[in-house]
This record gives sequence, C-alpha cells and structure tokens, in this order.
Amino acid sequence: MRLLAGHEEAKILAGGQSLMPMLNLRLARPELLIDINQADQRPPSRTGDLLRLPALTRHRVLLEHDLVRQHCPLLAEAIRHVGNVRVRNRGTIGGSLAHADPTSEIGCCALATQAQVVARGPDGERTVPVSELFAGYWSTTLAESEIITDVLIPVARPRQGGSFLEMVRRTSDFAIVAVAAVVELGERPGEIAAARLALAGVADRVMLADPGPIASTADQDQDLDAAAARIAETLEPASDVHASAAYRRRLARVLIARALRQAAARATGDAR
Amino acid sequence: MTIPDLQSLTGPYRIVGTSPAHHDFVDKVKGSLHYAADWQLPGMLHGRVVRSPVPSARITGIDVTAARALPGVAAVLTAADVPSNQIVELASGGLAELQVSMPVLAADRVRYMGEPVAVVAATTPQIAYEAAELVAVDYEELPGVFDPISARADGAPRVHEVGNTLVNWQIHCGDVAGALAAADMVIEGEYRSQHVEHAYLEPEAGVGWIENGVLTLRVSTQVIEHAATIAHILGLPQSKVRVIAAYMGGGFGGKEDMTVEAFLALLVWHTRRPVRMIWDRQESLVASTKRHPFIMRYRTGADRDGTITAQQIEIIGDAGAYPNLSPRVLFAAAACACGPYRVPNASITSTAVFTNNVPASAFRGFGAMQIVLGYESQMDQLAERLGLSRTALRERNFLAKGDLLPTGERLDTCVEVAETMHRAIALLGEPPQPSGPGKLVGRGIGCNRHPYGRTIWFRDRASAWLSLQGDGTLLIRSGVTDLGAGQAASLCQIAAEILGAPLDDISIYIGDSALNPPAGGTFATRQLYMSGNAVLHAAQELRDRMAPVAADLLGVPADDLEFVAGRVRAQRAEVSITLAELAAACDKRAISTAHLSTWRAQAGSFDPRTGQGDTFPDYTYGTHAADVEVDVETGQVTVLRYGACHDVGRAINPMRVQGQIQGGAMQGLGYALTEDMAIEDGYVQAVLFANYLIPNAQDFPDVLVDIVESGEGKGPLGARGIGEPPIGNVAATIASAIQDAIGVRPDRLPMTPERVLALLDQRRQT
Amino acid sequence: MNKRQIVLSVNGTDHEVWVFPSATLLDVLHDELGLADVRYGCGEGVCGTCTVLLDGDPVNGCLTLAVQAVGHPVTTMRGLMGPGEVMHPLQECFLRHGASQCGFCTPGMVLTSLDLVRRCVSQGRVRPTRDEIRYALVGNLCRCTGYTKILDAIEEYADQ
Repeated sequence: MRLLAGHEEAKILAGGQSLMPMLNLRLARPELLIDINQADQRPPSRTGDLLRLPALTRHRVLLEHDLVRQHCPLLAEAIRHVGNVRVRNRGTIGGSLAHADPTSEIGCCALATQAQVVARGPDGERTVPVSELFAGYWSTTLAESEIITDVLIPVARPRQGGSFLEMVRRTSDFAIVAVAAVVELGERPGEIAAARLALAGVADRVMLADPGPIASTADQDQDLDAAAARIAETLEPASDVHASAAYRRRLARVLIARALRQAAARATGDAR
Repeated sequence: MTIPDLQSLTGPYRIVGTSPAHHDFVDKVKGSLHYAADWQLPGMLHGRVVRSPVPSARITGIDVTAARALPGVAAVLTAADVPSNQIVELASGGLAELQVSMPVLAADRVRYMGEPVAVVAATTPQIAYEAAELVAVDYEELPGVFDPISARADGAPRVHEVGNTLVNWQIHCGDVAGALAAADMVIEGEYRSQHVEHAYLEPEAGVGWIENGVLTLRVSTQVIEHAATIAHILGLPQSKVRVIAAYMGGGFGGKEDMTVEAFLALLVWHTRRPVRMIWDRQESLVASTKRHPFIMRYRTGADRDGTITAQQIEIIGDAGAYPNLSPRVLFAAAACACGPYRVPNASITSTAVFTNNVPASAFRGFGAMQIVLGYESQMDQLAERLGLSRTALRERNFLAKGDLLPTGERLDTCVEVAETMHRAIALLGEPPQPSGPGKLVGRGIGCNRHPYGRTIWFRDRASAWLSLQGDGTLLIRSGVTDLGAGQAASLCQIAAEILGAPLDDISIYIGDSALNPPAGGTFATRQLYMSGNAVLHAAQELRDRMAPVAADLLGVPADDLEFVAGRVRAQRAEVSITLAELAAACDKRAISTAHLSTWRAQAGSFDPRTGQGDTFPDYTYGTHAADVEVDVETGQVTVLRYGACHDVGRAINPMRVQGQIQGGAMQGLGYALTEDMAIEDGYVQAVLFANYLIPNAQDFPDVLVDIVESGEGKGPLGARGIGEPPIGNVAATIASAIQDAIGVRPDRLPMTPERVLALLDQRRQT
Repeated sequence: MNKRQIVLSVNGTDHEVWVFPSATLLDVLHDELGLADVRYGCGEGVCGTCTVLLDGDPVNGCLTLAVQAVGHPVTTMRGLMGPGEVMHPLQECFLRHGASQCGFCTPGMVLTSLDLVRRCVSQGRVRPTRDEIRYALVGNLCRCTGYTKILDAIEEYADQ
C-alpha cells in the first residue's frame, strides 16, 4: 500500500493474466509492478451466511473448491468459461474484479449474487457492494491506493436457483453477451418472488438489469420472455468486430429468457 | 481409421503406403527442433520494422536522428539506404499483368496500413522497439480506396499511377449468350468472401549474418529462391547471398513471399553484425499478406434435367496495395471457376484489383479455394429450383477422363469425384435429430477440383541429389523447404522404398540455397509432385546404375534383384549383400554411388487473349459432407459431424495424408464460420490474436476422413497432391448444410451467428 | 533499470542468470537459457506455445515475469524426458499418432495434457474423457492438425 501510494505509475500484479498482455502489447507501461502473489495464502472459507473468497483465490480454486460449488454454484459454473487452464492457474478473483472488463463472467456472477468486496487502503478498510464497484470501461470506484482483499458472497439459499449463460464466437473466448441470473421462488407454486440479473457485453461495464415484477401467469415461459424483452429494450450496447449493437441486444433478450427459465427450474428442483 | 489400418489400399510397396513417424517429426515431439527464432550468434542485434499507421499517404519527411541517437541502436535505415529499392514480381511470367513494383521501404508514398517505412537494429528487442517509436515520419494522408468495386470505378483514387486493375484473365469457350438464352433455367448468384490470415503458430522470424563474405539468412520461409531477389536489392552478386530455410512452424502460403528476409539483409549488410527479427503476432496480423477476398458472380444455365449448359462467371479479387502473387491467384480461380463439372459454354473473367488494404497473396488454396463457394452454391441452388437431389444433379454433370475444360485442355487422368461424394456422405451416418426446440438440423455437401503443381507455362523443375555412402547409409540433398507437412520426410520414404535403405539410415538436408540442388519453393501443392518425382527418379537411376554391380557380385541377372531392408538380394536365390558392400564394390569399380536428377514437369503455353491453352498439370478431386444444427434464436451454428474424402492417387504416408485433410478442413471451418480480419477503411479490426478466431480444440468435431487411391496421379507412384485441396470444400459444405437446415443460402463469409440470424429473419418474412 | 542476478530451477537444474525485472519467463528461458521448446506465439496468453509448468502447473511463460519464478521450479517439455533423450510415453504417443505436423504447438499440448491426466489420476479417476481433453486444450491452438490426432495420442496415453 505504501508502494502504491508512493508511486504514481505503480500497478498491482496478482495473476497477471490481464495486466501482462497489456505490458507485452505496450498498452500499459507502469514504472513499478508490485507483486502481491505471496501476500495471502488463505483458502476460501464460510462465515455465517457469507462465502469469503480471499482476493488472491485463483480461478482454478473457484472451479474445484467444494465450498464454492456448494455455496455459490453460479460462480463455479461460470468459471468454466473463463480463459483456459493456464489463465485459471494464475488469474485471481480480486484481480478480475479490479480489472473490470465489461465482458467479465466473474463480474456478472458477483453482481447477480449481491457480492461485496473488502477494499483496504491507507485509511483503513471498507466494504463495497460490487453493484457500486464498476465505473466504466476497465475502471472501478476504488481509490488509487486501495486493494481488494476479500470477496464476500451471500451463500446460496434454498428456493434459490442460479444460471449462467454466455454466447461466444469461439469456445472459452471473451463473451459476446453473458447473463447471470439468480431467481428466488415465492410462496405460491410457479411464483417468482425475486430475480436478479447481471449482464456482460452490453455496456461499458458489467451491469445489473432490473426485470421488474415478473408476472405469475400459467405460462411462465411467456412471463420470463416478457421480462427479457423489457430489459433488452433498455439496452444500448456498442458494436465491435465480433457483434453489432443490434445483435447484442437481440442476443441479450434470448439469453436472459433462457437464464431466467433455467434459474427458475433449478430453484424449483431445489425446493422439492 | 486406427493406425494399424492405415495401410495403402493398392500397390505392392513396403515403405510407401505405411505411416512411419521419423526424421523431423521425432525432433518436433522431442522439442529439439530449432526453428528460425531458435538461433543465436555472438553480438546479435535485434531488428524491428517501422510501419505506416495510415493506409494512404504521402511521406513528406522522415527524421531518424532521435532514433539513431538512442543508446544501443546500431542502425536506422530508410528507403535511401536500400541500393535497389524495388521488388518486381512478374507473377504471371509477364503475361497480361501491369508491371508494378513494391518498395522494400516506402520512399514517398504509403499504400496500406502497416507498410514498412524504416528498419531498426538495436542491442535488445526493447531498445529496438523504443527506437522504432522515435522514428518520426510525417504523413500527409491521401484519399484511399478500400474495396475493388469502388477501385475499378472511374475517378477512384489511384493506388498506383498505372491504374487499379492489375490483371484481367479471360477464359471463353462456346457460345455463352446463346446457351443462357436457350436454357430452361438460369440461376444467378453473388457470393463474397473475406480477408483471412494464415495464423501459423510460428510468427515470421529469421536470423541473418555474414560468413566468409556471404550474406547468410536462416529464416522461416517456403522459398529459398528469394536469395536472388535479396542479392538484387542489395546490389550483390547472387553468389554472395545464401538463404537457409529452417523447418517452419507452419507456412500455408504466408511465408511464400519474402517476410523478414529483405529487412534482415539490409540490417546485416549495413551493421556487419548478426541480426534477429521476430514479428509480433499483432504485427503479423495487421501487415502480413492475406487471402484475397473474392466477389464471385455467377450466371448458370441448365436444362430441365439438370445438365449444365453455360456458366458466365465474374471473379473480382481484392489484391490490396501491391501485386505479390495476385495475378496467379486470380488465374487459378479462373481455371477452376467451373469446378468438377462439364461446362460446354463458359465465359470467365477474373480480375485482381488494387486497393489500399493490406496486400493479399498466397494462402493454401490460392484462388481455386475461394471459388468453390461460387460453383457449389450454384449447384445447390440449381438442384433446389429444378427439384433434383443435390447428389443426382452433380453426378449428371461431373467431369470424366477425356473431357475438355473451358480452356480447351483435355483431362488425362481419372476423375473419381463421384466416389468421393458417396464416401463423404457415408462418413456421416444417419442424419441427426435436433437437440431441442428452437433448433434446426441440416446436411450439406461440397465437391471440388483443385490443381496440384504449378501452372504449366512456368516450366517447373526440381532437382534432388542422392548418395549411397560407404557404410550403406543414404544421404539426400534437396532444396525443398518443409512447412510441417512432411515435405522432407516423404522424400526419405520414397528413397527408402526404391533403394531399400532403412528410414533410420537416411539423412536429408534441405532448404539451403548454397548447398542443395534447387527444388523450387514449397507451394502450389507441388513438392510431392516435383521433388517426390525428382527423388523417385534419382533413386531409380542410381539403383539402375548400381544394379549391374550387385548382379555381378551375386551371380544373378540384374532384374532379379530386390533392394530391401538394407540389403540387395536375389529374389529367387538365398544370396544377398549389404548396401555397404555394394557401395564398396561400386567404389572399387570407379562407379559413383551419388546421383543428381532433375525432374521437369510437362511444359505448355497459355494465350491470355483467347483464354485457351495449358493451365495446371492435374487436379485432386474431393467431397466434404457435414451435419449442422442451427439455433434459430441466436443464429449460432454447431457442426455436429464432418466428413471428408479425396482421391489422393497414392497415399505415400497415409497418416500424413489424413493429417493434411483434417488440418485443411479445420482451417476451412475457421474460414467458413469464425475468421475475419474485418478491415474497415484500410484498418484491420482484428488486431489481437484473441480477436482473430481460429478454431480451438473444442469448437468442432473430429474431421472423419476417407481416401480414394485411384493411382493415376502425376506425382511419384501415382500420387496426387493433398496439401491444399481439403481447405477448399469446407465453406461450401457448411453453407450447403445451413441452407438445408434453414431454407436460405448464406452468400457471405464468414457465416457468423449474426448473419445466419439475418437469413432466418429473411426466411420468416418470405 | 538494471539487470539483477537470479537463480531459476529449470528441468531440475539451477541456472544463474542476469535478467531485467521486466523480462518475462519466456524471454529468459528462450533467449538466456537457449531452450527451444518454449516459444513466442502471441504475447497475449491465448495460443499456448509458451506453456511451461510452474510448480507443476501449466502457466503462460509470456505472462509470467522471470523474477516471479525464483523459488518455483520450472518444467519445460524436454524436462519430461529421460537421460539419453528417452521420450516420455506421452511424447511417444504423439509421435506414433502423427500428432505433430509443424511441431510448434507440441510442447504446449504435451505439458497441458500431461497435467490433465495427472490431476485426473490424483482425483481417483481412471482417465479424462475425450471431451474433457478438448476442454483442457482450448488454450492451446494448433493450425496444422485439426486436433484429432492430438486427442487420439492423449487418449492412448491416458489409457496406458
């Protein structure tokens, strides 16, 4: 932290899977790299209703650790889509969130699960909801000398179901559009009490999308599709080499509907 | 096919037709092969090219002072430092094309983004990079033109003063207008393909140095004959330039023109120190040569029963800013534009047009590849409109031995394309069911006719030198270069077959312009045909010379002898000698056990005015088939099964033949579905390897392979070339399958989910 | 920036090298130690030609700083071989199946698939499925083979 504060052109080096390519391509030329890989050896743990993931938890651990699979299956599912074996051996959850890629699968899951990050700076520690973390293309609301130390995720509850879907042009690549959905069942059969949706690839940051109240008619598929259509209309994605804005919007609608359906089905399966 | 089953289907051969793993493949698996970048010399410098950031501009000034002043910089060179700053490639031997030269370093004008403007050498790559950034070039941007249609129009910005149309090939036979007017059915279609990149895993690289006064370059290259061009650029005698081709980490045509050679040569000659240059992947993506995007316009006339009566075809290729091999590529497209079908009336024009895009040149398939989408799309459309099955329509029109091509040439080898079609479809088995609601499945096929060997009017030749050494081991020297497809190893297999030397006893030395007899470059699927024949004949001639000596020693007639397993033995007696004993005996009788043979391909000529004459020596025929599933909500296409069958004449090494087909098909799948440089206004959008989507291990199923061995190829022992043909069928096959699934034919590549979704919308509206 | 001396343990041997702190493990292994089986392919971590094992795990040599490898043993493909250039059984499978055409991707393929098979076995499973092998290899690009023979070779090794 002292080093960070003392050097204007300093950058944290954790997994390096996002930062090092930038150095190799000379898109970033920091004067100082602070290697924090040895700073924390803690494994994932559960305290009360929270799954605590130290920021240096490698993606591979997220993929394989029992606690993650048990308490945040959404994340365990989404991590399969991140990078490749080598990237997952080094990449970290803290690094991923701090990098704030607008197509980030991890960012999507963190938003959908109402995760928080613990950030430590020279003035102490604070807890920031991930919904207040992303500030735009590859930027966060963290101060220059703040480092993420932990990621706190509310453990999955009964009657809750999650789904992660993404569309890629080539398997394991950056997502064109990704959706993470967490659905909570209501009291009545087929009723969806709450749905939380996070989208990647449709804005300058991973974003929450409010599906509004989801109707509870006899045709749940239609209700969910209506919610998806409502959201898609509000989106203003950018066009790039992989997909146009119009296609992203259309894709978002399809994936949101599918994710909500799958999340609801899993919640129902869990409730039985 | 499992490995024990990979025995050749025909021929009484022992080594040819088997699949030993030997020579360079052993070194590759051991990780001990030294590629072009795996070479260091004391005092070696690191070179870097300075490139234009804009696609069309006048250079009004270059200031290298700051760059030269940077500590660690040994040289900063510009156009003024190049003794002969032009590369003139008369790609069609002077036939019909504009003469336009390409500078090594741009002097007063840049014509594409990435065009080299200066070169730098420094003591570390980092310093070289910084020095390159310090070279200050003033660009005054000029209007550019970025597509061939606009470039052909009156008043278009001129890429070159002499004009924007580089070459216009014409092939005409019969009466196309009359035949189209009389046809029962005329189908029109326009098809477009994109810029794609070779994306070999090994980027362009090389090391240069001076040894005994000879400028020596060890580079990843398909063509060592560039030594002559390098000598010319530097104003040196050809005897003072040597090019050594390292085994390549892939070439695919992207290392057929010079890449690093001229830059290394300039820096080495100027600094008198060794220099290494490795291109960045991103540099390679932006600035290395690409495949020609084609616009293919077809009007096909047919009778009600499906017999094709006429083809009127216009092909327009985007050559980019400089000629390179564009004339030849568009020629190959023209020569193959009618595909494996009989067409009695044909009118084909094939034009290469300059634009301010990155130059296009050789890429596996070379024009005859892109055009498959044109003729196969027309066949499927015709079948649909006439209510005929796709296979029946094709069978009605397939060429046969003895038929005439539109250029007036008569096919003199058998055409087994129908057999390949049936086998490819058989590989797929039963058509699959959709995996769920909102999914459609479809099956498609794609047939092709692909040339092997260079255009006949080049009077191609290749030489090989063999020597049976005193201890019975065999040495082969050939100028062949090896792209990773067994170019060198196949020659060993042929020599082993004829002379009986065990593969482990054969050493081959390749790709050295100073030390090897010239074999010509590795392109045009020509090496097995040319160097294979050269080695075959050299081995046969050597055997014929030594046989009488062996016959004398063994007391049997010479034609009774067998050369096998390191020995020469009499077929009908129990006597034999070792190859070492034979060598010793020859030596005693002053009979040389070394032999050089030059094999010459058939010669011919072509008249560009009439479009009649000789084109290619022969063709490889094949068919691919695929089952796909389309997600109607997202447009995503999943390939469920893929099969490929080619008539390879004779499989010298069946496992390697299979590997070529699998690899070529996979490259074709990327071309069909995911790869696109996406050049807009002269700027490449897919600048990162993360954004240029070549297939990975999970994207596509295994390519199932079957081969036909008709034995009538013009390569050694009846082989046909197989390096390029398998990439050609794929896009057409996938388009065919998508059309079967959704009822609309894709006509643009790549067939992205977004485009497929638009086609689905189109279908919904009609 | 000045070079500093570090000790890297590579394929069981300690090497003293002078490196810039900014040098990548790829740069040092290839240029300083002359190891030809660790290769530059993209610098982005996408292609896998620079794959090495760091503490036994596959990592991108181009995205790791050489100084980060101090105290963490590095293994390249040639480190799998026995004395006298004896090939590892997985390499023999690659050779027999024709899984190497131009050979440039081979070290990355071998190291990544070996890691997969080892981890599978250590988790008490007999062998990975062909689909699991595909998934493990998404980050190792090959432009020559179409992947089939590579998968065949790995499956044969896994069966052994």
